[in-house]
Amino acid sequence: MQDGIVLAKVDELLSWGRKNSLWPMTFGLACCAIEMMATGASKYDLERFGCGAFMATPRRADLMIVAGTVTLKMATRVKILWEQMPEPKYVISMGSCANKGGPYWQHGYHVLKGVDEVVPVDVYVPGCPPRPEALIEGLMVLQKKIANERVLHEKWVRNV
Amino acid sequence: MYSELITSINSAVTNANATLVTPGEGEIGDSSVLINPESVLEVMKFLKPLYNALQVISGVDYTEYIEVCYFLAHFDPAAPKDVMIKTRLKDRVAPKLDSICSVYLAANWQERECYDMFGVSFNNHPDHRRILCPDDWEGWPLRKDYKVQEVYRGMKVNPENKMNRDDQLFEDNKQKGNEADLIAWALSKGL
Repeated sequence: MQDGIVLAKVDELLSWGRKNSLWPMTFGLACCAIEMMATGASKYDLERFGCGAFMATPRRADLMIVAGTVTLKMATRVKILWEQMPEPKYVISMGSCANKGGPYWQHGYHVLKGVDEVVPVDVYVPGCPPRPEALIEGLMVLQKKIANERVLHEKWVRNV
Repeated sequence: MYSELITSINSAVTNANATLVTPGEGEIGDSSVLINPESVLEVMKFLKPLYNALQVISGVDYTEYIEVCYFLAHFDPAAPKDVMIKTRLKDRVAPKLDSICSVYLAANWQERECYDMFGVSFNNHPDHRRILCPDDWEGWPLRKDYKVQEVYRGMKVNPENKMNRDDQLFEDNKQKGNEADLIAWALSKGL
């Protein structure tokens, strides 16, 4: 690096920027949301990963952390919220309930058996509820996934 | 224990048919007062000055009848007391009761929950809707003969590929009493 010049591929620069400024949606469903709040607070501090700006509307968010039990009543709302988010958007399924129904896996008549029934999920974080460290690891996995995306290549080369 | 209360209910409300229910052999719990379902509202009007708080309305499905229990209490530090009033509904298709919201305001949400879970409708209820399940939900979840619907708004309630077959197999074998099969099966799974 000389004279303030940085050489990088445009794709990589874009992905680097996007992965380090994920804006999650302020959205919690159950006890996992308490862990998500702890992760966002000062001790674990999601802001270190550029992911601390919890947006109060889905239209400004690009990450949905589904934290908690998704009941069938809520599943319709979750789908609407996901559809309101602008592309590109990502979903982290946090905790056993959102992953596969959790303790309500067979006899919970009112629980959706995994949020991936209604929205596509990028990262699953297991645990009941997961510790903040687990959510941070899930976030870092998602960041790796985003860093490997080639947005312009997809748009201008592959899909011409 | 409630003999004085029962006589006063019977003298104040005609057709109340108040009787004492005591726990039978091998049962636990307190004794309670059983009344006629048609006279619920009248009895509650009579009891309001004696018991100032409604704590809970709960339902129980005994398959022959649906029982609705009212837990009343009196919050007087000098003489705290409580009573459990029960009534039994024989009709399982469309059980009906009079709403007591005009007497105890706390009954509003309690009766909605009873309607949501057991399908007991309450006449003259100010806001007669389901409270927890979605409005277009089918069936009454806490009834003994409840079968969950397969699809809700295009979402499968119990998708085949997400059900745990191993647990079901284990239960089936356990009920059949095939212990040798059970052990062989568990070994094959590495459990």
